[in-house]
Amino acid sequence: MAGPVVQYSGHKYLRHRLVLSILSGKAIKIDGIRSDDKNPGLRDFEVSLLRLLEKVTNGTVIEISVTGTAILLKPGIISGGPLVHDCPLSRSIGYFLEPIIMLAPFSKRPVQLTLRGITTDDHDLSADLIRTVTLPHLQLFGISDGLELRVHKETWSTSRGGGEIQFLCPIVKQVKTLNFVEPGKIKRIRGIAHAVRVNPQFSNRMIEASRSILNRYIPDIYLYSDVYKGEESGKSPGYALTILAESTTSVLFCSEAISKPGVAPEDIALQATRSLLSEISKGGCVDQKHQSLILLMMVLGSEDVGRCRMSQPTPGTIQFLRDIRDFFGTSFKIVPADPTEPNATDLLYSCYGTGHVNANRDLA
Amino acid sequence: TVKHRRTRRDWTKDIYSSDLTPEQILSSSSKPQQDGNEALDDDFFTVKQSSKIYANTDSDLLEFADRSKDPSAFSSAELSKWEDEEMLESIRGLFITGAFVDGELADE
Repeated sequence: MAGPVVQYSGHKYLRHRLVLSILSGKAIKIDGIRSDDKNPGLRDFEVSLLRLLEKVTNGTVIEISVTGTAILLKPGIISGGPLVHDCPLSRSIGYFLEPIIMLAPFSKRPVQLTLRGITTDDHDLSADLIRTVTLPHLQLFGISDGLELRVHKETWSTSRGGGEIQFLCPIVKQVKTLNFVEPGKIKRIRGIAHAVRVNPQFSNRMIEASRSILNRYIPDIYLYSDVYKGEESGKSPGYALTILAESTTSVLFCSEAISKPGVAPEDIALQATRSLLSEISKGGCVDQKHQSLILLMMVLGSEDVGRCRMSQPTPGTIQFLRDIRDFFGTSFKIVPADPTEPNATDLLYSCYGTGHVNANRDLA
Repeated sequence: TVKHRRTRRDWTKDIYSSDLTPEQILSSSSKPQQDGNEALDDDFFTVKQSSKIYANTDSDLLEFADRSKDPSAFSSAELSKWEDEEMLESIRGLFITGAFVDGELADE
Protein backbone atom coordinates (compact mmCIF):
# COMPACT_ATOMS: atom_id res chain seq x y z
CA MET A 1 0.00 0.00 0.00
CA ALA A 2 1.82 3.08 -1.17
CA GLY A 3 -0.06 5.92 0.46
CA PRO A 4 1.07 9.12 2.11
CA VAL A 5 3.45 8.87 5.08
CA VAL A 6 3.16 11.42 7.86
CA GLN A 7 6.53 12.13 9.46
CA TYR A 8 7.49 13.29 12.95
CA SER A 9 10.59 13.50 15.05
CA GLY A 10 10.95 12.71 18.75
CA HIS A 11 9.20 10.49 21.27
CA LYS A 12 6.73 13.08 22.54
CA TYR A 13 3.03 12.63 21.76
CA LEU A 14 3.67 9.08 20.53
CA ARG A 15 0.33 7.63 21.56
CA HIS A 16 -1.99 10.14 19.94
CA ARG A 17 0.06 10.10 16.74
CA LEU A 18 -0.23 6.32 16.46
CA VAL A 19 -3.98 6.59 17.07
CA LEU A 20 -4.37 9.24 14.36
CA SER A 21 -2.41 7.08 11.94
CA ILE A 22 -4.60 4.03 12.53
CA LEU A 23 -7.88 5.95 12.37
CA SER A 24 -6.93 7.87 9.23
CA GLY A 25 -5.30 4.90 7.53
CA LYS A 26 -2.19 6.97 6.80
CA ALA A 27 1.22 5.47 7.51
CA ILE A 28 3.39 7.21 10.10
CA LYS A 29 7.15 7.47 10.42
CA ILE A 30 8.77 8.76 13.59
CA ASP A 31 12.52 9.21 13.90
CA GLY A 32 14.81 10.85 16.41
CA ILE A 33 13.30 8.85 19.30
CA ARG A 34 15.57 9.87 22.21
CA SER A 35 18.44 9.80 19.72
CA ASP A 36 20.48 12.25 21.84
CA ASP A 37 19.86 10.31 25.03
CA LYS A 38 22.50 8.24 26.81
CA ASN A 39 20.03 5.38 26.48
CA PRO A 40 18.55 6.01 23.03
CA GLY A 41 15.43 4.59 21.47
CA LEU A 42 12.03 3.25 22.49
CA ARG A 43 11.28 2.30 26.09
CA ASP A 44 9.76 -1.03 27.09
CA PHE A 45 6.32 0.54 27.56
CA GLU A 46 6.40 2.06 24.09
CA VAL A 47 7.34 -1.24 22.49
CA SER A 48 4.58 -2.89 24.51
CA LEU A 49 2.09 -0.30 23.23
CA LEU A 50 3.11 -1.07 19.65
CA ARG A 51 2.55 -4.78 20.32
CA LEU A 52 -0.88 -4.00 21.78
CA LEU A 53 -1.81 -1.94 18.71
CA GLU A 54 -0.71 -4.89 16.58
CA LYS A 55 -3.10 -7.15 18.54
CA VAL A 56 -6.06 -4.77 18.27
CA THR A 57 -5.61 -4.41 14.53
CA ASN A 58 -5.25 -6.77 11.62
CA GLY A 59 -2.66 -6.26 8.91
CA THR A 60 -0.69 -3.53 10.67
CA VAL A 61 2.99 -3.50 9.73
CA ILE A 62 5.41 -2.07 12.28
CA GLU A 63 9.10 -1.64 11.57
CA ILE A 64 11.51 -0.60 14.30
CA SER A 65 15.05 0.46 13.43
CA VAL A 66 17.97 -1.49 14.92
CA THR A 67 18.75 1.29 17.39
CA GLY A 68 15.06 1.73 18.27
CA THR A 69 15.23 5.43 17.44
CA ALA A 70 12.91 5.21 14.42
CA ILE A 71 9.61 3.46 13.74
CA LEU A 72 7.38 3.06 10.73
CA LEU A 73 3.76 2.00 11.15
CA LYS A 74 1.50 1.09 8.25
CA PRO A 75 -1.96 0.75 9.73
CA GLY A 76 -4.24 -2.20 9.09
CA ILE A 77 -7.89 -2.37 10.11
CA ILE A 78 -9.08 -2.22 13.71
CA SER A 79 -10.26 -5.77 14.34
CA GLY A 80 -11.02 -5.85 18.10
CA GLY A 81 -12.49 -8.98 19.68
CA PRO A 82 -11.33 -10.71 22.86
CA LEU A 83 -7.73 -9.76 23.70
CA VAL A 84 -5.32 -10.07 26.62
CA HIS A 85 -2.25 -7.92 27.15
CA ASP A 86 0.33 -7.86 29.94
CA CYS A 87 1.54 -4.29 30.51
CA PRO A 88 5.09 -3.65 31.70
CA LEU A 89 5.33 -2.22 35.21
CA SER A 90 7.02 0.98 34.02
CA ARG A 91 3.62 2.53 33.18
CA SER A 92 0.11 2.03 34.49
CA ILE A 93 -2.73 0.41 32.59
CA GLY A 94 -4.07 3.88 31.77
CA TYR A 95 -1.14 4.54 29.42
CA PHE A 96 -2.23 1.58 27.29
CA LEU A 97 -5.97 1.96 27.70
CA GLU A 98 -6.27 5.64 26.71
CA PRO A 99 -5.28 5.09 23.05
CA ILE A 100 -7.38 1.91 22.87
CA ILE A 101 -10.45 3.87 24.00
CA MET A 102 -9.93 6.19 21.02
CA LEU A 103 -9.79 3.27 18.58
CA ALA A 104 -12.26 0.74 20.00
CA PRO A 105 -15.57 2.30 18.81
CA PHE A 106 -14.35 1.97 15.19
CA SER A 107 -13.47 -1.69 15.43
CA LYS A 108 -14.71 -4.59 13.30
CA ARG A 109 -15.86 -6.54 16.35
CA PRO A 110 -16.49 -5.17 19.88
CA VAL A 111 -13.26 -4.86 21.87
CA GLN A 112 -13.07 -7.04 24.98
CA LEU A 113 -9.63 -6.24 26.29
CA THR A 114 -8.09 -7.60 29.47
CA LEU A 115 -5.08 -5.62 30.66
CA ARG A 116 -2.81 -6.75 33.49
CA GLY A 117 -0.38 -4.44 35.27
CA ILE A 118 -0.57 -1.40 37.53
CA THR A 119 -3.98 0.27 37.83
CA THR A 120 -2.82 3.60 39.24
CA ASP A 121 0.29 5.75 38.90
CA ASP A 122 1.40 9.38 38.72
CA HIS A 123 1.57 9.64 34.95
CA ASP A 124 -1.74 8.54 33.46
CA LEU A 125 -5.41 8.27 34.37
CA SER A 126 -6.15 5.49 36.81
CA ALA A 127 -8.49 2.65 35.93
CA ASP A 128 -10.98 4.22 38.34
CA LEU A 129 -10.98 7.62 36.64
CA ILE A 130 -11.27 6.04 33.23
CA ARG A 131 -14.32 4.13 34.45
CA THR A 132 -16.05 7.05 36.17
CA VAL A 133 -15.01 10.02 34.01
CA THR A 134 -13.50 9.02 30.65
CA LEU A 135 -16.17 6.52 29.61
CA PRO A 136 -19.08 8.92 30.28
CA HIS A 137 -17.38 11.30 27.82
CA LEU A 138 -17.80 8.68 25.09
CA GLN A 139 -21.54 8.65 25.79
CA LEU A 140 -21.69 12.25 24.55
CA PHE A 141 -20.93 10.82 21.12
CA GLY A 142 -23.49 8.02 21.21
CA ILE A 143 -21.10 5.31 22.37
CA SER A 144 -22.87 3.81 25.37
CA ASP A 145 -24.66 0.45 25.24
CA GLY A 146 -22.26 -2.20 26.48
CA LEU A 147 -19.53 0.29 27.35
CA GLU A 148 -17.92 -0.93 30.55
CA LEU A 149 -14.69 -1.04 32.51
CA ARG A 150 -14.38 -3.75 35.12
CA VAL A 151 -11.62 -3.34 37.66
CA HIS A 152 -10.87 -6.84 38.91
CA LYS A 153 -7.81 -6.09 41.00
CA GLU A 154 -6.24 -2.79 41.98
CA THR A 155 -2.57 -2.20 42.39
CA TRP A 156 -0.10 0.64 42.56
CA SER A 157 3.02 2.10 41.08
CA THR A 158 6.44 1.03 42.47
CA SER A 159 4.84 -2.36 42.77
CA ARG A 160 5.11 -5.84 41.42
CA GLY A 161 1.98 -5.48 39.36
CA GLY A 162 -0.97 -7.78 39.89
CA GLY A 163 -3.77 -5.41 38.83
CA GLU A 164 -6.29 -6.46 36.25
CA ILE A 165 -9.05 -4.70 34.34
CA GLN A 166 -11.38 -5.58 31.49
CA PHE A 167 -12.54 -3.01 28.96
CA LEU A 168 -15.67 -3.68 26.92
CA CYS A 169 -16.59 -1.29 24.12
CA PRO A 170 -19.44 -1.41 21.61
CA ILE A 171 -18.83 -0.54 17.97
CA VAL A 172 -20.54 2.33 16.20
CA LYS A 173 -21.17 3.17 12.58
CA GLN A 174 -20.57 6.86 13.15
CA VAL A 175 -20.20 9.14 16.17
CA LYS A 176 -22.72 11.89 16.90
CA THR A 177 -21.95 15.57 16.40
CA LEU A 178 -21.19 17.20 19.73
CA ASN A 179 -22.80 20.39 20.95
CA PHE A 180 -21.65 20.85 24.55
CA VAL A 181 -21.54 24.52 25.49
CA GLU A 182 -23.41 24.88 28.78
CA PRO A 183 -21.09 24.29 31.76
CA GLY A 184 -23.93 24.48 34.31
CA LYS A 185 -23.16 24.57 38.03
CA ILE A 186 -21.44 21.93 40.13
CA LYS A 187 -24.16 20.00 41.95
CA ARG A 188 -22.42 16.98 43.43
CA ILE A 189 -19.00 15.67 44.34
CA ARG A 190 -18.11 12.02 44.59
CA GLY A 191 -14.89 10.41 45.59
CA ILE A 192 -13.23 7.17 46.51
CA ALA A 193 -10.51 6.95 49.12
CA HIS A 194 -8.53 3.84 48.38
CA ALA A 195 -6.46 2.03 50.91
CA VAL A 196 -4.69 -1.04 49.64
CA ARG A 197 -2.76 -3.12 52.16
CA VAL A 198 -2.34 -0.20 54.57
CA ASN A 199 -4.08 0.83 57.81
CA PRO A 200 -7.79 1.08 56.84
CA GLN A 201 -7.98 4.31 58.90
CA PHE A 202 -5.95 6.02 56.16
CA SER A 203 -8.98 6.24 53.92
CA ASN A 204 -11.03 7.97 56.64
CA ARG A 205 -8.22 10.44 57.25
CA MET A 206 -8.16 11.31 53.53
CA ILE A 207 -11.94 11.77 53.46
CA GLU A 208 -11.88 14.08 56.46
CA ALA A 209 -9.11 16.26 55.01
CA SER A 210 -10.88 16.58 51.66
CA ARG A 211 -14.18 17.47 53.32
CA SER A 212 -12.47 20.22 55.29
CA ILE A 213 -12.21 22.11 51.97
CA LEU A 214 -15.24 20.89 50.03
CA ASN A 215 -17.98 21.10 52.68
CA ARG A 216 -18.24 24.86 52.19
CA TYR A 217 -19.52 24.56 48.64
CA ILE A 218 -22.35 22.05 48.39
CA PRO A 219 -24.05 19.53 50.67
CA ASP A 220 -24.15 16.71 48.11
CA ILE A 221 -20.73 15.20 48.77
CA TYR A 222 -20.10 11.49 49.15
CA LEU A 223 -16.58 10.22 49.59
CA TYR A 224 -16.48 6.47 49.86
CA SER A 225 -13.90 4.45 51.63
CA ASP A 226 -12.62 1.55 49.60
CA VAL A 227 -10.40 -0.81 51.49
CA TYR A 228 -8.93 -3.68 49.54
CA LYS A 229 -7.75 -6.77 51.34
CA GLY A 230 -6.41 -10.20 50.54
CA GLU A 231 -6.52 -11.60 47.03
CA GLU A 232 -8.37 -8.67 45.37
CA SER A 233 -5.79 -6.15 46.59
CA GLY A 234 -3.08 -6.97 44.11
CA LYS A 235 0.40 -7.23 45.52
CA SER A 236 1.53 -3.89 46.83
CA PRO A 237 0.50 -1.28 49.45
CA GLY A 238 -0.59 2.29 48.85
CA TYR A 239 -3.41 4.79 49.16
CA ALA A 240 -5.03 7.36 46.91
CA LEU A 241 -7.91 9.78 46.67
CA THR A 242 -9.93 10.03 43.46
CA ILE A 243 -12.56 12.79 43.29
CA LEU A 244 -14.96 13.99 40.65
CA ALA A 245 -17.35 16.90 40.48
CA GLU A 246 -20.49 16.81 38.33
CA SER A 247 -22.45 19.80 37.11
CA THR A 248 -26.14 20.27 36.40
CA THR A 249 -25.37 19.72 32.69
CA SER A 250 -23.32 16.53 33.36
CA VAL A 251 -19.93 18.21 33.03
CA LEU A 252 -17.32 16.09 34.84
CA PHE A 253 -14.14 17.42 36.42
CA CYS A 254 -11.77 15.01 38.08
CA SER A 255 -8.55 14.75 39.98
CA GLU A 256 -6.52 12.18 41.76
CA ALA A 257 -3.48 11.99 44.02
CA ILE A 258 -1.66 8.86 45.08
CA SER A 259 0.56 8.04 48.03
CA LYS A 260 4.23 8.87 47.96
CA PRO A 261 6.82 7.80 50.53
CA GLY A 262 6.78 10.10 53.55
CA VAL A 263 3.61 12.00 52.59
CA ALA A 264 0.69 11.74 55.03
CA PRO A 265 -2.78 10.66 53.84
CA GLU A 266 -4.11 14.15 54.74
CA ASP A 267 -1.62 15.82 52.38
CA ILE A 268 -2.45 13.45 49.54
CA ALA A 269 -6.13 14.30 50.06
CA LEU A 270 -5.42 18.04 50.03
CA GLN A 271 -3.45 17.70 46.80
CA ALA A 272 -6.30 15.86 45.09
CA THR A 273 -8.92 18.28 46.41
CA ARG A 274 -7.05 21.47 45.50
CA SER A 275 -6.24 20.15 42.07
CA LEU A 276 -9.97 19.46 41.58
CA LEU A 277 -10.70 23.10 42.47
CA SER A 278 -8.11 24.17 39.87
CA GLU A 279 -9.92 22.15 37.21
CA ILE A 280 -13.31 23.57 38.21
CA SER A 281 -11.96 27.13 38.18
CA LYS A 282 -10.70 26.78 34.61
CA GLY A 283 -14.29 26.43 33.46
CA GLY A 284 -15.73 24.89 30.32
CA CYS A 285 -17.54 21.59 29.81
CA VAL A 286 -14.56 19.20 29.66
CA ASP A 287 -11.54 19.06 31.95
CA GLN A 288 -8.00 19.33 30.64
CA LYS A 289 -7.33 15.61 30.96
CA HIS A 290 -10.03 14.85 28.38
CA GLN A 291 -9.54 17.61 25.82
CA SER A 292 -7.82 15.37 23.27
CA LEU A 293 -10.43 12.61 23.44
CA ILE A 294 -13.23 15.12 22.87
CA LEU A 295 -11.44 16.89 20.01
CA LEU A 296 -10.74 13.58 18.28
CA MET A 297 -14.36 12.45 18.46
CA MET A 298 -15.47 15.87 17.18
CA VAL A 299 -13.25 15.50 14.11
CA LEU A 300 -14.66 12.02 13.47
CA GLY A 301 -18.25 13.25 13.89
CA SER A 302 -20.84 13.45 11.14
CA GLU A 303 -20.54 16.20 8.52
CA ASP A 304 -21.87 18.98 10.65
CA VAL A 305 -20.38 21.62 12.95
CA GLY A 306 -19.47 20.22 16.37
CA ARG A 307 -18.96 22.62 19.25
CA CYS A 308 -17.51 22.29 22.73
CA ARG A 309 -16.67 24.81 25.43
CA MET A 310 -13.42 23.93 27.16
CA SER A 311 -10.62 25.47 29.18
CA GLN A 312 -7.42 26.70 27.52
CA PRO A 313 -5.52 23.96 25.70
CA THR A 314 -2.68 22.09 27.39
CA PRO A 315 0.64 21.73 25.48
CA GLY A 316 -0.46 18.21 24.52
CA THR A 317 -3.79 19.52 23.22
CA ILE A 318 -2.08 22.16 21.07
CA GLN A 319 0.13 19.52 19.49
CA PHE A 320 -2.86 17.22 19.07
CA LEU A 321 -4.73 19.97 17.18
CA ARG A 322 -1.77 20.39 14.85
CA ASP A 323 -1.40 16.64 14.34
CA ILE A 324 -5.13 16.24 13.62
CA ARG A 325 -4.67 18.66 10.75
CA ASP A 326 -1.74 16.58 9.43
CA PHE A 327 -3.85 13.41 9.31
CA PHE A 328 -7.38 14.62 8.63
CA GLY A 329 -6.88 18.11 7.18
CA THR A 330 -9.33 19.49 9.75
CA SER A 331 -8.63 22.67 11.71
CA PHE A 332 -10.63 23.89 14.66
CA LYS A 333 -11.91 27.38 15.17
CA ILE A 334 -11.01 28.50 18.69
CA VAL A 335 -12.57 31.66 20.07
CA PRO A 336 -13.40 33.08 23.53
CA ALA A 337 -16.49 31.28 24.84
CA ASP A 338 -18.00 34.40 26.30
CA PRO A 339 -16.79 37.59 24.57
CA THR A 340 -18.88 39.75 26.92
CA GLU A 341 -16.96 38.53 29.98
CA PRO A 342 -13.38 39.90 29.79
CA ASN A 343 -12.09 37.77 32.69
CA ALA A 344 -13.34 34.44 31.38
CA THR A 345 -10.56 32.30 29.96
CA ASP A 346 -12.52 29.36 28.59
CA LEU A 347 -12.84 28.89 24.85
CA LEU A 348 -15.26 27.61 22.27
CA TYR A 349 -13.76 24.91 20.04
CA SER A 350 -15.63 24.11 16.86
CA CYS A 351 -14.95 22.08 13.75
CA TYR A 352 -16.67 20.52 10.79
CA GLY A 353 -16.82 16.75 11.28
CA THR A 354 -15.15 14.53 8.69
CA GLY A 355 -18.11 12.15 8.58
CA HIS A 356 -15.87 9.22 9.49
CA VAL A 357 -17.72 5.96 8.90
CA ASN A 358 -16.63 2.76 10.58
CA ALA A 359 -15.95 0.68 7.49
CA ASN A 360 -14.47 -2.15 9.55
CA ARG A 361 -17.76 -2.93 11.23
CA ASP A 362 -19.16 -6.43 10.95
CA LEU A 363 -22.62 -6.13 9.50
CA ALA A 364 -23.63 -9.56 10.72
CA THR B 1 -6.13 49.99 29.86
CA VAL B 2 -9.52 48.35 29.58
CA LYS B 3 -9.12 48.32 25.85
CA HIS B 4 -5.68 46.78 26.15
CA ARG B 5 -6.97 43.98 28.33
CA ARG B 6 -9.63 43.24 25.78
CA THR B 7 -7.04 42.56 23.13
CA ARG B 8 -7.45 38.80 23.05
CA ARG B 9 -5.00 36.41 21.60
CA ASP B 10 -5.90 34.61 18.41
CA TRP B 11 -5.62 30.96 19.43
CA THR B 12 -6.50 29.62 15.99
CA LYS B 13 -3.67 31.63 14.45
CA ASP B 14 -1.12 30.80 17.16
CA ILE B 15 -1.84 27.09 16.93
CA TYR B 16 -2.08 26.67 13.17
CA SER B 17 0.04 29.43 11.65
CA SER B 18 3.00 29.86 13.97
CA ASP B 19 6.14 27.81 14.51
CA LEU B 20 6.02 28.28 18.26
CA THR B 21 6.13 25.10 20.35
CA PRO B 22 3.00 24.39 22.42
CA GLU B 23 4.92 25.38 25.55
CA GLN B 24 5.93 28.70 23.99
CA ILE B 25 2.36 29.45 22.96
CA LEU B 26 1.16 28.87 26.50
CA SER B 27 3.95 30.78 28.20
CA SER B 28 3.27 33.79 25.99
CA SER B 29 -0.41 33.79 26.96
CA SER B 30 0.39 35.25 30.37
CA LYS B 31 2.67 37.94 28.95
CA PRO B 32 1.66 41.12 27.10
CA GLN B 33 0.68 40.77 23.46
CA GLN B 34 3.98 42.32 22.31
CA ASP B 35 6.08 39.34 23.35
CA GLY B 36 4.03 36.97 21.28
CA ASN B 37 4.43 39.12 18.20
CA GLU B 38 8.17 39.39 18.62
CA ALA B 39 8.52 35.65 18.76
CA LEU B 40 6.33 35.32 15.69
CA ASP B 41 8.49 37.68 13.69
CA ASP B 42 11.57 35.74 14.59
CA ASP B 43 10.69 32.27 13.41
CA PHE B 44 14.24 31.32 12.61
CA PHE B 45 15.52 31.75 16.14
CA THR B 46 12.42 30.30 17.72
CA VAL B 47 13.08 26.90 16.27
CA LYS B 48 16.66 26.81 17.50
CA GLN B 49 15.61 27.87 20.95
CA SER B 50 13.04 25.14 21.22
CA SER B 51 15.50 22.36 20.54
CA LYS B 52 17.70 23.77 23.27
CA ILE B 53 14.80 23.75 25.70
CA TYR B 54 14.15 20.08 25.03
CA ALA B 55 17.78 19.15 25.63
CA ASN B 56 17.72 20.82 29.02
CA THR B 57 14.49 19.32 30.28
CA ASP B 58 15.11 16.94 33.14
CA SER B 59 15.25 13.26 32.41
CA ASP B 60 12.07 12.23 34.22
CA LEU B 61 10.03 14.59 32.08
CA LEU B 62 11.73 13.32 28.95
CA GLU B 63 11.18 9.72 29.91
CA PHE B 64 7.48 10.19 30.61
CA ALA B 65 6.79 13.01 28.15
CA ASP B 66 3.71 11.25 26.82
CA ARG B 67 1.37 11.34 29.82
CA SER B 68 -2.19 12.41 30.51
CA LYS B 69 -1.73 13.72 34.06
CA ASP B 70 -0.03 17.06 33.71
CA PRO B 71 2.57 17.33 36.50
CA SER B 72 2.13 21.11 36.62
CA ALA B 73 -1.39 20.53 38.00
CA PHE B 74 0.33 19.41 41.22
CA SER B 75 2.94 22.16 41.33
CA SER B 76 3.14 23.87 44.69
CA ALA B 77 2.23 27.19 43.07
CA GLU B 78 -0.97 25.76 41.59
CA LEU B 79 -2.00 24.01 44.82
CA SER B 80 -0.97 26.61 47.38
CA LYS B 81 -3.24 29.27 45.92
CA TRP B 82 -6.15 27.25 47.34
CA GLU B 83 -4.86 27.85 50.87
CA ASP B 84 -6.18 31.36 50.48
CA GLU B 85 -9.68 32.00 51.81
CA GLU B 86 -10.50 34.61 49.15
CA MET B 87 -9.45 32.25 46.41
CA LEU B 88 -11.70 29.53 47.81
CA GLU B 89 -14.62 31.96 47.90
CA SER B 90 -13.94 33.21 44.38
CA ILE B 91 -15.26 30.02 42.75
CA ARG B 92 -18.40 29.73 44.86
CA GLY B 93 -20.49 30.98 41.91
CA LEU B 94 -19.57 27.84 39.97
CA PHE B 95 -21.56 25.66 42.41
CA ILE B 96 -25.37 25.42 42.50
CA THR B 97 -25.50 26.79 46.02
CA GLY B 98 -23.47 29.79 44.88
CA ALA B 99 -26.27 31.28 42.78
CA PHE B 100 -28.23 32.73 45.67
CA VAL B 101 -25.48 32.88 48.29
CA ASP B 102 -23.49 35.18 46.01
CA GLY B 103 -25.27 38.40 46.93
CA GLU B 104 -25.15 37.78 50.67
CA LEU B 105 -21.44 37.06 50.60
CA ALA B 106 -20.61 40.16 48.64
CA ASP B 107 -21.95 42.23 51.54
CA GLU B 108 -19.81 40.53 54.15
